[in-house]
Amino acid sequence: MMHIPFRVVFEQRGETPRRLSLIVPLVSVLAALFFGALFLLATGYSVFDTYTNMFKGGFASFNGITDTLALSTVLICTGVSAAFAFQMNLYNIGGEGQLYLGLIGGAWAGIALGDHLPSLIMVPILLICGALAGAAWIFVPALVRSRLGTSEIVSTLLLTYIGASLIKHVIYTPGSFFRNPNTSFPQGRRVADSASLDSFGSSRLYPTFFVAVVVAGALYWVVKRTEFGYRINVISDSPRAAHYAGINSRRTTMMVMSISGALSGLAGAMLIVGPYGKIEPSIITLGYGYAGIVVAALARNNLAVIIISGILFSGLRVGGNNLQVTTDTPIHIGVMLQGAILLFALGGEAFRRYHIHIVRTQTQPNIKMSA
Amino acid sequence: MSNTSHEVAQGPHHTSGAAPTALSAHSIDKKFPGVLANDSVDFDVRAGEVHTLLGENGAGKSTLAAVLCGLYQPDAGYLIRNGKRINLSSPRAGLQHGIAMVHQHFRLVDRFTVSENVILGSRDLPYRLIRREIDEKVAAVAESYGLPIDPEAIVGTLSVGQRQRVEIVKALYQGAEILLLDEPTAVLVPSEVEKLFENVHAMTAAGKSIVFISHKLGEVVEISDRITVLRNGRVTGHVSGRGTTDTKELARLMVGRDIELNSQRATHAMGHEVLQIRDLSLDVDDVAVLTDISFNVRAGEMVGIAGVAGNGQRELADTIAGLISPTSGSITISGAMTTDRGPIAAREVGLAYVPEDRLGVGLVPSMSIIDNLLLTRNRQTVVDRFSVRPEATRLIEQFEIKANGPDHLARKLSGGNAQKVLLARELSGGRTATRLLVVCSPTRGLDVGAIETVRRILNDARSAGQAILLISEDLDEVLSLSDRVLVLYRGAVVHEALGEAAELSQVGAAMAGLSSQSH
Repeated sequence: MMHIPFRVVFEQRGETPRRLSLIVPLVSVLAALFFGALFLLATGYSVFDTYTNMFKGGFASFNGITDTLALSTVLICTGVSAAFAFQMNLYNIGGEGQLYLGLIGGAWAGIALGDHLPSLIMVPILLICGALAGAAWIFVPALVRSRLGTSEIVSTLLLTYIGASLIKHVIYTPGSFFRNPNTSFPQGRRVADSASLDSFGSSRLYPTFFVAVVVAGALYWVVKRTEFGYRINVISDSPRAAHYAGINSRRTTMMVMSISGALSGLAGAMLIVGPYGKIEPSIITLGYGYAGIVVAALARNNLAVIIISGILFSGLRVGGNNLQVTTDTPIHIGVMLQGAILLFALGGEAFRRYHIHIVRTQTQPNIKMSA
Repeated sequence: MSNTSHEVAQGPHHTSGAAPTALSAHSIDKKFPGVLANDSVDFDVRAGEVHTLLGENGAGKSTLAAVLCGLYQPDAGYLIRNGKRINLSSPRAGLQHGIAMVHQHFRLVDRFTVSENVILGSRDLPYRLIRREIDEKVAAVAESYGLPIDPEAIVGTLSVGQRQRVEIVKALYQGAEILLLDEPTAVLVPSEVEKLFENVHAMTAAGKSIVFISHKLGEVVEISDRITVLRNGRVTGHVSGRGTTDTKELARLMVGRDIELNSQRATHAMGHEVLQIRDLSLDVDDVAVLTDISFNVRAGEMVGIAGVAGNGQRELADTIAGLISPTSGSITISGAMTTDRGPIAAREVGLAYVPEDRLGVGLVPSMSIIDNLLLTRNRQTVVDRFSVRPEATRLIEQFEIKANGPDHLARKLSGGNAQKVLLARELSGGRTATRLLVVCSPTRGLDVGAIETVRRILNDARSAGQAILLISEDLDEVLSLSDRVLVLYRGAVVHEALGEAAELSQVGAAMAGLSSQSH
């Protein structure tokens, strides 16, 4: 048998050293950029130009940074949606579908209420209707999860496909309430003017960005400081301790999942009061809900850190998409770099959780026994 | 701390036996983050002898056993088997050298038969299994060591003692010459312990070596040919010879100081009945778990419930605490009916409950001491941790909890300190002053020093007039602490005795279901 002179040992860390929490993500990003550079060299594109263009397109230009913040508005909401459920070890994979319902709920209020109320009332109503629709979409998964223990991973995910069909249905069915009656081409009917916000100056950034930031911060506080958050922490750490203390896990599960669904719905409604103004059926190709799961994972489900990871991830996406506009680099290069950075960032987790060392396996000489 | 290895009686070199050393370990070091679990430990076992590793929890005996069987690789030191140096990279490698471990928590598949469990993991099985041949072979191995067992029985239907026998048969079937028994008596009733000891003698008579791991002085003295005492990862003494050993000296070697475990029962006045249980029955999935249980506990009284694990103790405690609704019967605490009202209602009339599992049930591992104090109390909508802090600090001092202050995480506490936090919270009341304390296996897994403290805390609580229901598998503990002892067998109270009058043999027989007294 071949003798391998060493082996790699993964030893779980009892406690992650603080400095690693900073160093690991940094090194991960550098490693991803290095990996991307190899790829760019192999395909014949300039490493330096591609990276500077990406950075400029995502962060270091007026359009870049405002587009990034605009996208992060949605991704912070869907990110908080995924992470909030995860506070109780619940996996809401269906943020995508709840976001579609948020779009429908928001558009419904915006069309049905007409142009009678001031924006200051109208916009919150749309956002609330979107959130309620998102919460309604997760109601059945939450119910069967809390009562019967049915996996919420499967049920929320499958409902996403139904949600996508619903979007197509309300837009492509002739005579649909949500469809623009004045064109033969299928498109969404616009909501009332009072339900539409104005963007900042010439940008595509809407004030809803601040709502998203406040929501993330508020939920962070709820989990850390309130009785409700305390219950969530007890249940997620040890369900049996919760039972022992008389904490009602079922009700808490229902509430946490409903809030999670509402947050994704809120993201959808924000698109209605912001950039869309109507249901855009192309939403089902954008994957904002799924991206929220990635944003949450990057923030290690820390609700406050999601504000940062949401912006960074959005910048990566905006900058990557910008590549093909400003240069002749195909969009796939940008997508590949996004993927590489995510992969390395998440892979870096292993270094935080495990102490990895290489052990020499020497062949030991036999020792004679002394009597 | 003294690190001088010191010898009592005849020292490590036996005079009687010329039996060769089967396995020896030399200057074994094993580090874990923050702990030196084994610090240049030497150990050896001869063919045909029982060599005991004695020590408190955390003394390093399980670590050493894990090194001996190949589960852990030592950081320094080496093993010699039959005169040759060996490297054990895995338990399988250990088995190839004839070394097998019988774990405290059995590793058996409940749905498999005895034979299927025994052959599980064997590498040289034929492609086509002929059940009858294997059954015969398993039965033959079992019988040759006086371990009668039905090879066709489904393991899930066997008693704990029988399951242990399956583990031992499995080791022997796989060709073990050296058996490491990790706390084998922890789960057994007295009669099963006797049976196990007979089996051990049968195995040593056949030339097998037994490494017996325990912290119970009495049985160690009874079974061992030699004893090695460990404390804080170091060998603190070797003691030779069976029956000739001074248990006081052993206890001192183990703990490092003189100890007094037999806490005296204080004479005291008992008050009114705090807990009244009437005709309590509980069925789980149509199986009777508790049947017609009735008893009272008075203020200032400690009632002990003895019994082998799994005879309804946990369910009884959970039912009293309001965590399970009984099928019939009633529970009254301080004059208030709490049946079916849930845990919070029970706590509101003075219940305190220390469950068997400290971390994960009684305490939330990832939370601080402060947050754990809040677990069973009224909490405001916005949790006010600031106002609990002084109380937490006071309790840490009062209960001598070793922690870096109130923010210390529960999972970083030692078992003894976790238990003290739990007792501190439960005894200090929350929703109302504590009147009834239900406490399950309060000292299980604790070191001797902590056992002393916990028992003192319980005695003090009783003297303060609290009613205490002590549920424990440790029979000595129940007998030495309780004013009254009830024995639970298959969910029914089969024996009752006053603490002083309780006889070990009778209580032991009742625990094993051999009681003449029936209800």
